[in-house]
Amino acid sequence: MIALVAIPLTLLSMQQAGRGVIAQRLAGRVSPQIASLVEELGAAAAARGLPIDPLIQKAIEGNAKGVPPERVATALRLVAMQLDTAAAALRDGGGGLVSDTLAIAAGEFAITAGLSRSDITALARTGANAAALTVGLRVAGTLAALGVPPAEDIGLVSVALRSGEPASSLLLLPANVQSEMAKGVTPAQAAAGLARAAAAQARHGPPPGHGGGHPHPPAPPHP
Amino acid sequence: MSGHDFHPLIKQLLDGDVTLADLPAELHAEGEAALRLLAAVDRTDVSMPAVTWRVMAALERRRRRFLPWLLAPAFAIAAALVIWLRPGTPPPSAALVTVRFVLVAPEARQVSLAGTFNQWDPQATPLVRAGTTDVWTATLTLPAGQHQYAFVVDGARWVPDPGAPAVDDGFGRRNSVLTL
Repeated sequence: MIALVAIPLTLLSMQQAGRGVIAQRLAGRVSPQIASLVEELGAAAAARGLPIDPLIQKAIEGNAKGVPPERVATALRLVAMQLDTAAAALRDGGGGLVSDTLAIAAGEFAITAGLSRSDITALARTGANAAALTVGLRVAGTLAALGVPPAEDIGLVSVALRSGEPASSLLLLPANVQSEMAKGVTPAQAAAGLARAAAAQARHGPPPGHGGGHPHPPAPPHP
Repeated sequence: MSGHDFHPLIKQLLDGDVTLADLPAELHAEGEAALRLLAAVDRTDVSMPAVTWRVMAALERRRRRFLPWLLAPAFAIAAALVIWLRPGTPPPSAALVTVRFVLVAPEARQVSLAGTFNQWDPQATPLVRAGTTDVWTATLTLPAGQHQYAFVVDGARWVPDPGAPAVDDGFGRRNSVLTL
């Protein structure tokens, strides 16, 4: 009796609330056709505990770039599918991280950047908390966007997450990889070398003069 | 029955201490009458405790039957409120980071920046040409997190940042990625 009544009522309320937020954010920014599709996909996503922001952003982006509505619709459906995949990957990783919408959105980005469901699950299984995993997923996606292959990418980020590196250190990884690439090594070699160094540091402690934290903030793209 | 006073042997008969056969002959009729009366009382199931138990059980069943109907709207409203409030909840890390964006665009008359941080509005964040050079720059303070963006040259051409990693935008172009 409870399931028959409470679940449909709850889903209905959640969908209506989700639609209201989406309509408000898309007002005047996208065509009615796209707004309607985002409301439909967003309400369904919200009812499953998925974030709706990536859908809204993709719709606005498509409209700003003058993309035909049919192509925006295809991209939106892909984002919705990737959100589901990211949530499933986090669920596979355990730890109750599937309820964290920021982690799911970060996982969706990682998939967009070229990582797979099993890559995300591997990071979730490091035992990192939701905040650290969210940063780890964003960094892993950024490394993939730099051309680091998934094996070396996940290897590097996993070592950093398992050793309990602070977010500021994780965020330095893409810049460090770029720095190594500038010396002439491939993205894979750069990531593998950094992973070896991080693993050695985790075993033996930081080198003299580098005790604990990293005092410098992450480097901007164009310092 | 409170006004009726039985013979002591009849009382023993009713208590089960003696049988009808143990009674003297003159008390047999009275003993049989007393036993019939006792049997009639035993068959009567209208004692108040029984009535109370049945009524309370029925009330409990009704309460259980209607509890979901009372809880369902409350649960639905609570869930809707959670969903409604969630998009407006700020992320735990609200740190701000200052970032300088640079594009070298020799032929450009106008360059701007559009991305997730300004709702992809090509008019919102113009870059400034550095003197008479071909270098266009903008300095923004952005919240920590993940941002995607592109330069917009002359209001029409979307160009990824050549100095930053990039991902497929789903529309056949590339978005630059900034992870803070």
